[in-house]
Amino acid sequence: MTYQFDWSVLWTGQSGEWLLQGILTTLGISTLAWLLAAALGTVSGALRTVPFAPLRALATCYVEFFRNVPLLVWMFFWYFAVPPLLPGPLQDWLFNHGAEFWAGMFALGVYHGARFSEMIRSGIQSIPKTQFEAALSTGLTTAQTYRFVIIPIALRLIIPPIANESLNLLKNSSVALTISVTELTFQTRQIETYTARAFEALTAGTVIYLALCLGIATLMTKIERRFALPGMIGRVASAEH
Amino acid sequence: MKKMLTLLVAIALGAVTPAMAETTLEKIARTGVLTIGARTGSPPFAFVDAQNQWVGFSIDLVEQLILPTLSKKVGKPVKLEKKESTPPTRIPLLASNAVDLIAETMTDTRSRRDSVDFSLTFFVTGAQFLVKKGSPIKGIKSIAGRRVAAQQGSTNARIIREQAPKAQLREFPDQPAAFQALAQGQVDTYTNDGIQLAGLKAKAPNPRGWEIVGDFYSYEPYGMALRKGDADFRGVVNNGLMEGIDSGKFFDIYEKWFGPKGELPYPMSPDIKKFMIYQAVPK
Repeated sequence: MTYQFDWSVLWTGQSGEWLLQGILTTLGISTLAWLLAAALGTVSGALRTVPFAPLRALATCYVEFFRNVPLLVWMFFWYFAVPPLLPGPLQDWLFNHGAEFWAGMFALGVYHGARFSEMIRSGIQSIPKTQFEAALSTGLTTAQTYRFVIIPIALRLIIPPIANESLNLLKNSSVALTISVTELTFQTRQIETYTARAFEALTAGTVIYLALCLGIATLMTKIERRFALPGMIGRVASAEH
Repeated sequence: MKKMLTLLVAIALGAVTPAMAETTLEKIARTGVLTIGARTGSPPFAFVDAQNQWVGFSIDLVEQLILPTLSKKVGKPVKLEKKESTPPTRIPLLASNAVDLIAETMTDTRSRRDSVDFSLTFFVTGAQFLVKKGSPIKGIKSIAGRRVAAQQGSTNARIIREQAPKAQLREFPDQPAAFQALAQGQVDTYTNDGIQLAGLKAKAPNPRGWEIVGDFYSYEPYGMALRKGDADFRGVVNNGLMEGIDSGKFFDIYEKWFGPKGELPYPMSPDIKKFMIYQAVPK
């Protein structure tokens, strides 16, 4: 017996609305988590290279702790273990206003921040030491050297791996369904429950993830070209994606 | 592979047109054995207990209510034989004559009645709410604005969405996560079939701190399944259950498993008791 596909389940009833809602939630949680991850990653990545041991140790602790524990555990941590630390009324307010979304966002952001951090560090360490010394010799302080010379170059160098990690972040956002965030995968399952059409629903989900990821990849390529430093990362300007 | 397929088709066809060489009653009269399909891990309906005995509510019903009636009908003592059945295997087992009666947690539904017949309803459950003792939630009418946890993909979640659109539904993929969320206050209540909630409550660190509230807002009547079109055998099974209800023995057995001291306390509501009594038609 061959399976009879019935694609109409994807636009009849509430399916379209659910999918759209799922896409918006997935994009929302991923964008916010990405911003958090980029901020944490940049700071801790830079700290891992500074000539001051306690700061390096602090950043190393953050990275090793957060990247070596499974994301699922972090989801439960931010949803179940963090709220009890807050005062009662705030807890209740949070639970009524999308606590699961914020817990999921923090879990994703902090976890991927640790991974971003390693990329930033590798970017910084790939910059010749002489560059650092040259910047210092112009009279810049260490902080200024990082702020105006090292990090701007490092960020440009690591765009390809960051693009990679961003795609991972987007796809990992589906883990948030375990704490009842109604993102794209959740909505795909919902359609499956209502229509008993597993293949159609999963195909729709797959195609949407693929489209979102291709969109991000294209965007990252554009950014890479736009910010390329002539002469330094020269190959990029002419290379096809 | 092809052989397997042929076998499957044969079983499937068997379910539609049972090739009845002899009726179930004739078979039992000849062999003196009634074979039932039951679960091994579904307490308290049918499970292997600490003494390694295969026992349970549905097994007791067959042993104490149906077997005596059956023995009387065929005119000789009938022995009980148990085989394990699970949701995916139970209908094929029945159709292939491997078992004569399915006595487990099978919900009687109209679509299932297309392939098998059902006895009287012997257990009723339905969706309810688990709340912390003293919660203002009393049922599906009082959950507007409240945070309600449900099992992802369950019919319960669907009903809540339709009947109580103002509730804040949170769907969890598994029971432990949902219960944890309830215990910590992320949600105000967790909804599932009453009997599931009773199991959860019994296993909780502090069972007395929890309450199962609300009328059933979904309906799950459990029946014993038998081969379609075997009216005489079905009559005997039903008579056994009805006599048990008349004599009160049915309720004693219920009390043994679901009473306060039972394996899983799940008191029978007055409505359900009435329903059980009305199922037993006069002699």
